[in-house]
Amino acid sequence: MAKKKEKVVDSGLDTIKSMVHQHSEFFDTLVELIPARFYLPDETERKWFPGLSKAQKARAKRKTTENLKKARRDRLDPEKSALTTLDLLKQKIEKEKKKLSNVVAEDDDESEEEADHKKAKSDSVTYEELRQRLHRKIDELKGGRGGSERPRSHEKRKKIVPNKRKREKTVEEEEDKAKLDVEEAAKDLTYGYVKIDDDEEHGKGSKKRRLSKSRELERALKLEAAKKDPEKGEVIAKKHSWQAATSRAAGIKVHDDPKLLKQSIHKEKKRQEKNAEKWKERVEGQQKVRVEKQQKRSGNIAERIEQNKQRKIAKREKKLMRPGFEGRKEGVINDGK
Amino acid sequence: MGRFKNNKKGRVNVKPIAKNNQANVDHVTGDKIPKSFVFSRTKLPGSVKQLQMDLRKLMLPYTALSLKEKKRNTLRDFLNVSGPMGVTHFLMLKKTASALSLRVARTPQGPTLTFKIHQYSLASDIAQSQTRPRCPPDLFKNPPLIVLSGFGTQELHLKLATIMFQNIFPAIDINTVKLSTCQRLVLLNYNKDTKLIDFRHYSIRLQPVGVSRKLRNFVQTHKAPDLRNLQDVSDFITKAGYGSESEGDEEAATVTLSSDLGRVNKGSTKSAVKLQEIGPRMTMQLVRVEEGLCSGGIIFSEDGNVDGKNKQDGDEEDDAAGEEESEEGEEGSEEDMDEDAED
Repeated sequence: MAKKKEKVVDSGLDTIKSMVHQHSEFFDTLVELIPARFYLPDETERKWFPGLSKAQKARAKRKTTENLKKARRDRLDPEKSALTTLDLLKQKIEKEKKKLSNVVAEDDDESEEEADHKKAKSDSVTYEELRQRLHRKIDELKGGRGGSERPRSHEKRKKIVPNKRKREKTVEEEEDKAKLDVEEAAKDLTYGYVKIDDDEEHGKGSKKRRLSKSRELERALKLEAAKKDPEKGEVIAKKHSWQAATSRAAGIKVHDDPKLLKQSIHKEKKRQEKNAEKWKERVEGQQKVRVEKQQKRSGNIAERIEQNKQRKIAKREKKLMRPGFEGRKEGVINDGK
Repeated sequence: MGRFKNNKKGRVNVKPIAKNNQANVDHVTGDKIPKSFVFSRTKLPGSVKQLQMDLRKLMLPYTALSLKEKKRNTLRDFLNVSGPMGVTHFLMLKKTASALSLRVARTPQGPTLTFKIHQYSLASDIAQSQTRPRCPPDLFKNPPLIVLSGFGTQELHLKLATIMFQNIFPAIDINTVKLSTCQRLVLLNYNKDTKLIDFRHYSIRLQPVGVSRKLRNFVQTHKAPDLRNLQDVSDFITKAGYGSESEGDEEAATVTLSSDLGRVNKGSTKSAVKLQEIGPRMTMQLVRVEEGLCSGGIIFSEDGNVDGKNKQDGDEEDDAAGEEESEEGEEGSEEDMDEDAED
């Protein structure tokens, strides 16, 4: 029984091995079909062609063409060994194994990472260095024009994401600070004006107490005299100027300049005089017109009376102006004794 | 209004091309609506010109958006035009070799605050730096709200600055204001240590709180949601969504709306107020306060309270108008030199 079992087990193992072998062969044929260029990652250093000068570019171009030619010749050369994808893959795996063993032997993981880092850095130094140089030049050119602090377009693209640990700490600190600031600020806030019905804004509702201009002039002169006063003049002057500025800023008109007041009084007087003159002229004109009209009217009436009379006479005359008749009856011949 | 002819010396007048039929007096509150001009008397380099344009857009709708100024126009011309048009504030940018300054002045004879701009960023740069810049079409149809922080009520020049800024934008009447008109916000923050004022401009957005992002997006933009991975439509609605990532921090920033706003935010539910920055960003320092419009005595100067050395008497003011300006110019340059020495 054991033998049978062993046989079965052995044959089982054998079948598994053969199956694995078959599968592996299948995959190997597949891999060989793919050219190595596409299957294996390219580990060569890439030169950053746009950053090189003309001469360097020409040199690099020549090198690449030479490399291409050499590779083509090697590929078609029957004597040289043709490395298939599979062989290259095997080489790669061996290399990695060696590296791992080295690493384990030295017991130093970081050296490899550093090595990789340095490699990456040396790759990107060309990029970074050139880019920084460009930005420095741009900033120099733009440095002369001051003022705006706008985020420059190239600076915008550099979104340096800080380490997560650092970010969390700073965010917490900022939050605490912000809370304190908010509390402080909330104590001292002033808003724009809000009009409520019952209240009235300072001094604007006092239109009734408007002094006449002459009174205001007196007040202004008094104020000026007070300012010139040697002892308290300074204080009064300062206080008044601040008060005036505050009320002017609030929209209240402050009349404190005697010169301007005099001017406006003068103007008002002139205006009144002019108005009085205009009124007089108007009244005179009206009178004149009235008188004229009256005269014309009486003239017309008189004319009409005259005309009426004449018409009546003419009518009577017409009655007696018969043809063959001499007119009015002059009486009998015998009557006039 | 017809054309304004400045009769003196045949000087050409400023022709503001703003053909606005705006009321001078607010129909609701009965107050005068403050209007502004943003301009500069000197030639400005390219980015500062853009800053000027950004400031003009900020002050919309009560400003002249396409104000054209010629070299010959002086401040006098602007003053003459501002009277009939009801313009109350001037914002003047000036770029000299040493500094870029912004002067905010009240028109008839109001005080002038001079700010030195240390740094600025343009609106277009800010939009570029954001992943989703937002500009709804009617963003500039209503005036912005203003918030001032850190100014305090002690120092006189700061108090003056608060009053000045509060009066540049019209007041809002609580009874009649519509929530949909409050879309922008201007924030000024004063830093006591460095004495710098930060100027920021945000757009306000309300989002309902406690709704998963999927539902919110679906209701706002009517795009058909992606139901590939779900068994049933009910999963889409009931699945616990994440909400917003920063929702926990914004407990304080939620408000309870009194009325509906748009389709999404319903009245008497909680909504979160989200601010997204638009518009220019500036860091400035209050350098000088003058009594008149770019004239008159200096009542506050530089950082320390170096008070009006140059205060002239009222009689001398009219004779020496030119002299005064030149004197002030000298003083200004002296101050600039001092500042440079300090720097």
